Amino acid sequence: MKKKLLSVMLASVLAMSMIGCGSSAVSGVTETETTESTDSAQSTDAAQSADATSAEPAGEGSGEDLNVMLETPVESLDPQQATDGTSFEVIADYTDGLMQMDADGQAVNAIAESVDISDDGLTYTFHLRADANWSNGDPVTANDFVFAWQRAVDPEIASEYSYMLSDIGQIVNAQDVIDGAKDKSELGVTAVDDKTLEVKLNVPVSYFLSLMYFPTFYPVNEAFYESVGDTFATSPETTLSNGAFVLDDYQPAATAIHLTKNENYYDAAKVKLAGLNYQVIQDSQQALMSYQNGDLDTTLVNGEQVDQVKDDPAFAAIGAGYMWYISPNIKEVKELDNLNIRYAITMALNREAITTDVLKDGSAPTYTSVPMDFAAGPDGSDFSADQTMFSDYCKYDAAAAADYWAKGLEELGITELNLTMIHDADDAPIKVAQVVKEQLETTLPGLTVDLQQMPKKERVERMQEGEFEIALTRWGPDYADPMTYLGMWVTNNSNNYGFWSNAEYDKIIDECTTGETAMDPAARWAALYDAEKIVMEEAVIFPLYTQCNAELISTSVSGIEFHPVALNRVYKNAVKN
Amino acid sequence: MKKYVIKRVVTALFTLLAITLILFILMQLMPGSPFNDEKLNDTQRASLYAKYGLDQPIVVQFFRYVINMFKGDLGVSYKISKNTPITQLIASRLPISIGVGFAAVMIGALVGLCLGLLAAFKKDTVWDTLATIISVIGVSVPSYVFALALSYQFGFKLKWFPMLFSAKDVIGSSVLPSISLSMFTMASIARFTRAEMIEVLGSDYMLLAESKGLSGNKLIFAHALRNALIPIITVLAPLVVDLMTGSLVVEKIFSIPGVGSLLVNAIQSNDYNVVIALSFIYSAMYIGIMLVVDILYGVIDPRIRVAKEGD
Repeated sequence: MKKKLLSVMLASVLAMSMIGCGSSAVSGVTETETTESTDSAQSTDAAQSADATSAEPAGEGSGEDLNVMLETPVESLDPQQATDGTSFEVIADYTDGLMQMDADGQAVNAIAESVDISDDGLTYTFHLRADANWSNGDPVTANDFVFAWQRAVDPEIASEYSYMLSDIGQIVNAQDVIDGAKDKSELGVTAVDDKTLEVKLNVPVSYFLSLMYFPTFYPVNEAFYESVGDTFATSPETTLSNGAFVLDDYQPAATAIHLTKNENYYDAAKVKLAGLNYQVIQDSQQALMSYQNGDLDTTLVNGEQVDQVKDDPAFAAIGAGYMWYISPNIKEVKELDNLNIRYAITMALNREAITTDVLKDGSAPTYTSVPMDFAAGPDGSDFSADQTMFSDYCKYDAAAAADYWAKGLEELGITELNLTMIHDADDAPIKVAQVVKEQLETTLPGLTVDLQQMPKKERVERMQEGEFEIALTRWGPDYADPMTYLGMWVTNNSNNYGFWSNAEYDKIIDECTTGETAMDPAARWAALYDAEKIVMEEAVIFPLYTQCNAELISTSVSGIEFHPVALNRVYKNAVKN
Repeated sequence: MKKYVIKRVVTALFTLLAITLILFILMQLMPGSPFNDEKLNDTQRASLYAKYGLDQPIVVQFFRYVINMFKGDLGVSYKISKNTPITQLIASRLPISIGVGFAAVMIGALVGLCLGLLAAFKKDTVWDTLATIISVIGVSVPSYVFALALSYQFGFKLKWFPMLFSAKDVIGSSVLPSISLSMFTMASIARFTRAEMIEVLGSDYMLLAESKGLSGNKLIFAHALRNALIPIITVLAPLVVDLMTGSLVVEKIFSIPGVGSLLVNAIQSNDYNVVIALSFIYSAMYIGIMLVVDILYGVIDPRIRVAKEGD
């Protein structure tokens, strides 16, 4: 018997709370004004019954464009090729997946009207809504999803996010298709009929529905794609919409992008904005002045500007999901193989000082290897809410750090140590690296830290090839489950920069991914804590902070939904007065 | 003259070919690769290398690139909307950079010339001092300082011009960036004009022309300025290319979708084809401008023309 779904499933699907990120560090302002739209949860039912295409386009015209600042240009609007948050955000403005995110980050029905999940959790049958259409008039069909998902794993396309279907989504044959061992037509997703999509999984994946709002899983109209070929998604003419907005001004790497409300959207009655007007501004001073001028409704604020605007009611610290940490190269640098040395370094890091004195943007000190506020457990609580759980292994304690340091040096038979830390040549990492260097050198006698900055691409390559001593790096969650972090430290994972290996750890992670434990949410949750404990106990990484973005959001705007995972900002329910 | 031009054009073509080869070699030496995102696995990386022919020997890559280039194909970007033809990227951005740059050159050259002439004719007066002060400021203060100051004063405070570039108001929104970019040119031209004019005005042939009864405008424009222009054009030529190929900083401040930021981003993300295509275009423009300058010399100074015809 198949159980009719959502409510139960959704409860277990992660809630991503709207960040408590800023609460500690930034003055009284919270995100409340930005998250008012609680009505979005009901959108499914309402829209289902309403025949949106014929529903009178009431109320629009009264709306206005929302003017939004982007820090970087869009890299790609091809849902299967895009890899960055900015691109995902814009793609999601005009494309709906099977599911979309509601204000709390829960997956709610979008193109899917309902979903049946088999008892063994291995087969998902999505029923697509009848009134979902592309902007060229074609109906959105199950085949659009089949085509898109096959593109995602096609070795020819080499999508960077193909692992969302294989490792993360566990869709049947995904890995074999990616590796070229099987044809893409063998991927475990089939169009039963125009409006029914069936997906087969290798193992039950508790968060599978929450993957459906991730742009890699968005549909692509095959006939349209074939008609535009390689120019797909490089201009408004080569882009199709099935979402709340329609793209009408865009070119690759543009500094200005415009979208207009999609009057044929099945849920058009809910959309209050007349359009979205994105402006890329890379200079923070210009961005702030544009905001103050009224040209922008929302903008990012950098650490130096925070003091200037922190009392403004429009100021908010929004969780960005990224966790910044320092990775020691345990395999190549024999001094770092010494656990006492690693404890000494991690305990010499004053994370509070970094977030409050240097960053000032609401970023929160982190003492776990999974950051806060993006993954909620079976009981709905944040996985990393308790920051004291492993803090004995890493919290700032100059005296203890010095003791471990002395012990470590003695064991190694040395009196001084020189380490080079590589980091990105961007604003925040440069500042953080300098403070880290100063903190370590002050607390640990005999230690000198040299800093080496480089473009991110180069830093990542150096880390993957093990050509570094210690490195300042960051990781953003790809899906709302602690595994997006814990999965990194298994033996031979390409992002296990320290080349650390622990059989017990590998076993727990394996159990939680494909084993018995994977089927039992509560047991899995407990096991993930066991795994995290090993990472912290062994000081595999030195966590620093969970990033927040300081933003100004005009008080005349409400209902922008912020999320640390997948879609950073959703405007479907935003209102501008 | 014709023979001379043909010879120069042929040399230029070979120079460009050599530049492309050097660029290719430099790309190989660049640390990092276009496909080393944390999330790609080795199989995918290999297939991307194969797809774009980056697994081929450098010589093969080079010749294939040159052949495609003659067909008007500059390759695709690895980074920006994967597979976007670079010709498309450049076609939309280069005109903007050239437009803003050209306006900057015109403003800089004209204002600089006027300032220089004023300083030369009113030598050792308060006007001269004033012009000198302006030149020193123009040369020594970086363009982003002007850009931010102009943007604050005329964009934010007075609201005369938009603070950011906008495709809907290209002319209005190009005013502030063009002025910020023109300051260095203006200052350099003013200094050179002053120095050259003072030298020319003091020369024997000016004395002769004056003694023959020439005066006023004819004396200044036909004799003095014409001779003073030669070194000025030499200085101006590289500045023209510099400005028309976009400035990263000014583009960043005014959010101009130009080629300056495109190149820097491409270098940082190892987007080889974009780097090569843009560097190639810069080189071609530079060589082209130099060619025009050499021909202009002949137009302005008959002695150079005669000397060459005598070859």
